[in-house]
Amino acid sequence: MADAGFVHIRNLTKRFGNHAAVNDVSFDVAEGHTLALLGPSGCGKTTILRCLAGLETPEAGTIEIAGRMVFDRTRHVDFVPEKRELGIVFQSYAVWPHMSVAENVAFPLKVRGMPRAERLKRASRMLETVGLAGFEDRPATLVSGGQQQRIALARALVHEPRLVLFDEALSNLDAQLREQMRLELRLLQERLRFTAIYVTHDQAEAFGLADTVVLMNHGTVETMGSARDVFHRPSSAFAARFFGLNVLEGRVSRTAPDGQHVEVALNGRLTIRGRPADGVNLAEGTPVLACIRKEYVGIERSDVQDDATGTIAAASFLGVAEECVVDLQGVMLRATRPAIGLARGDRVRVALSSDDWIVLPASNERGDL
Amino acid sequence: MTIGGGVPARDAGRHGRWLQVVLPATSVVIGVLLIAGPFLATVIRSLLEWGADGPQLSAANFIGLFSDPRFYNAAVNTVIAGASTMMLSLLLGFSLAWVVARTDMPGRTWFETLNLVPFFLSPYVGALSWIYLLAPHSGLLQWVARTWFGVSLDAIDIYSVAGVVWVLTLFYTPYVYLFVIGPLRQMDAAFEDAARVHGASFWYTMRHITLPLMIPALLSAGLIVFVTSAGLFDVPLALASPRGIRMMPTEIFSLVQYPSDLGRAAAFGIVVLIVTILLTLLQRRHIGQRRFDTVTGKGYRPRRIRLKGKGLAAALALEVFYIGGGVVLPVIALLMVSFSRLWTGRFLLRTASIGNFDYVLTRYNLTQQAIVNSLELALVGATLGVALSILQAYYLTRGNPRRRALVDALLALPLGIPGIILGLGFLILAIRTPLYSTLTIILIAYIARFFPFATRTIAAMFLAINPELEQSARSSGASWLQTMRLVVLPLLRPSIIAAWLMLFVIFIRELGATILLYGQGTETISVTMVILSERSSGYVAALAVVQLVLLLVAFTIFRLTRTSIVQA
Repeated sequence: MADAGFVHIRNLTKRFGNHAAVNDVSFDVAEGHTLALLGPSGCGKTTILRCLAGLETPEAGTIEIAGRMVFDRTRHVDFVPEKRELGIVFQSYAVWPHMSVAENVAFPLKVRGMPRAERLKRASRMLETVGLAGFEDRPATLVSGGQQQRIALARALVHEPRLVLFDEALSNLDAQLREQMRLELRLLQERLRFTAIYVTHDQAEAFGLADTVVLMNHGTVETMGSARDVFHRPSSAFAARFFGLNVLEGRVSRTAPDGQHVEVALNGRLTIRGRPADGVNLAEGTPVLACIRKEYVGIERSDVQDDATGTIAAASFLGVAEECVVDLQGVMLRATRPAIGLARGDRVRVALSSDDWIVLPASNERGDL
Repeated sequence: MTIGGGVPARDAGRHGRWLQVVLPATSVVIGVLLIAGPFLATVIRSLLEWGADGPQLSAANFIGLFSDPRFYNAAVNTVIAGASTMMLSLLLGFSLAWVVARTDMPGRTWFETLNLVPFFLSPYVGALSWIYLLAPHSGLLQWVARTWFGVSLDAIDIYSVAGVVWVLTLFYTPYVYLFVIGPLRQMDAAFEDAARVHGASFWYTMRHITLPLMIPALLSAGLIVFVTSAGLFDVPLALASPRGIRMMPTEIFSLVQYPSDLGRAAAFGIVVLIVTILLTLLQRRHIGQRRFDTVTGKGYRPRRIRLKGKGLAAALALEVFYIGGGVVLPVIALLMVSFSRLWTGRFLLRTASIGNFDYVLTRYNLTQQAIVNSLELALVGATLGVALSILQAYYLTRGNPRRRALVDALLALPLGIPGIILGLGFLILAIRTPLYSTLTIILIAYIARFFPFATRTIAAMFLAINPELEQSARSSGASWLQTMRLVVLPLLRPSIIAAWLMLFVIFIRELGATILLYGQGTETISVTMVILSERSSGYVAALAVVQLVLLLVAFTIFRLTRTSIVQA
């Protein structure tokens, strides 16, 4: 079934000179599923995609697509890109400027030897699917960026590949169009049932599109899992920082009697209570990182002066929301709230729930962000 | 439409990655062989001395060369001519480019094209035309000055090093012009504006901001002009040889003539090659050390300076001087001579005739054969050269990144090798083979000497093509050959046309290499002009006009296709 896996990547390593762009990466994608490779620029996510497409030759590892071993270094298997039977949408769209819209879309059928009339009919049908009916005879250079994106998409789907790769495919679109394309892509995938791998540096895109998210850091898999798990329970400091959580250094001061929580001393004065990350045992005195989402830092105006009262150190208005930095007994916490007009120097009451704090051992920190 | 296996890829043969690796690599190997062959032949020949019992290894050729005062005489004259040409071309080329790119001079779009015309003309014909214009006592200009203005120009003698420098400057100015006009146009206006805002005058800004920023372009252009103009055979042959003024290219030529001394000629060639290579390395190092970011792409384009009064007059005078000297006057002189039954230094309408053309085109075997040979060489040579260049450009932009830099440097070598020296190399290679004095060896020499021009033009365009355009074709199921045919070649087309026309033009007028390699029946237009120059200036001029027409047709196509010359 789906769990059998459609794409298998095992121990993939790709070096550029002495630099390992991808280092011993393995993951699977089930048929019809969507996987997002997420990470900051230079983390190796695009290199993995290019290895999958046969555009780069890895130094080690195996790649299996749809039951066919398309790359195996040790057995000298290396399929050229055109034999891998997939579709790809590049960040630049790579729409050929010397062809019309229809010629671009019909290209995969042309090189497969389909007669002209038949392939133009199929191209038209695909253009209709992506919302570009009637654009067939336009020169490909005379359409907008969003339309080029759709042409590239139609071209990647027209020969009905079972695997489609997207390399930062939505990054060049403006915010509104990106939102719209994201929804349309999901619908299209439901209909055509292809397996998709997205490369993106944008969390919203990754979580919005993918069933599974692979977070990459310096050529290795930092964390991987269902979109919800990866988002809600970051398992490393890198992941926590990448997803924009507050990450604060501290030490375990006490293991709570319930076994679920620990108390962490963040500095001399402030101590919080939080949940250790899954499967982690933390003894007293262990250096740890306490992480909490900006959205979970509750603040409201207050005139009372007690341990839970902080001062706004900086505030910026972001439209719907307001982001501010609260000085809570010398600990700087970033918080995002619906705009209530806070200003520097305002006194606020800070509410922190022990279930929202994630406590990670400090030693598992790796890389930078 | 659901996915059920989809449309499968056709099995396009089992070549896989083989072809895409082997074809470009082969083109590089051919390029290296084309350079290494004549080079090694020249090196070996320069070290051989024929004794009673066959060839022996010896330094005699070099000892003979270095103890010959004529060698030093030729070297000094050549360096003086090359350096003077370089300075004058830099001055003229930069001024012309600046006027066209940075001022509002009326008609500048026309001048932009006209300034390039000498690039397409034959320097040999240019030198001949300037003989018609300025030969002592019989030149057209002398006659005009004497009869119309009562001034005697008899002191001016075109048969001199100064004459050589003058004609070379006219022909090499476009090189400088092409090198600097791009950077001048694209320079971020902020560099100059900042200087002006902070109190610098126009001239101060020019001297301390604009010129220093142009230094990489000027250095490259200057080196190319020095090396290639000093190595050009055409002009010294026409203007220095008649007075016995010794210069490097003509010295090598006469060493090959009967009684020939190929060993000495080879030794001379090696000395020139070493100097050329050292200069090139020096320039590469210098440019490598200093990084300039004049081409930002962003920012404002520099403003055009508004010319008025004296400035406008000076700019227009500069253009008239250059276009007049480089194109208009030579062409007028050439036409007058070609339509005169007997050239006496002045054109008389009543004795005008088309007799020269009639003879050259329909009645004289040698000239007819020469025109056919030249066309054949240019058409076949340009086509083969461009095919080779496309594959080399592919290697240079898409091939193994670790070897690219080395290959790039290797393949650029012929840019600085004088035609006569490469011709000498191929002569030594071919001399006792069936290739000797065939069109084939001439063709090979042409491609060997000039393919880097085409390769660089095409590689520059390759760089502008996003590799993802090719990659998405491959991922769509196209094989490497299909991708080349359906995506790469159509996108490269403008540069392919430009490169083809450039090679065609160069091959139609080439003289330096041909003069050593031709034989009976394989004369080209340029060679035939040299042969006939002893006999009748009318025939030579008529033949030169035929060549000029071919070159101008190529130039016109060049402009019509709106392709641009990318700096070599």
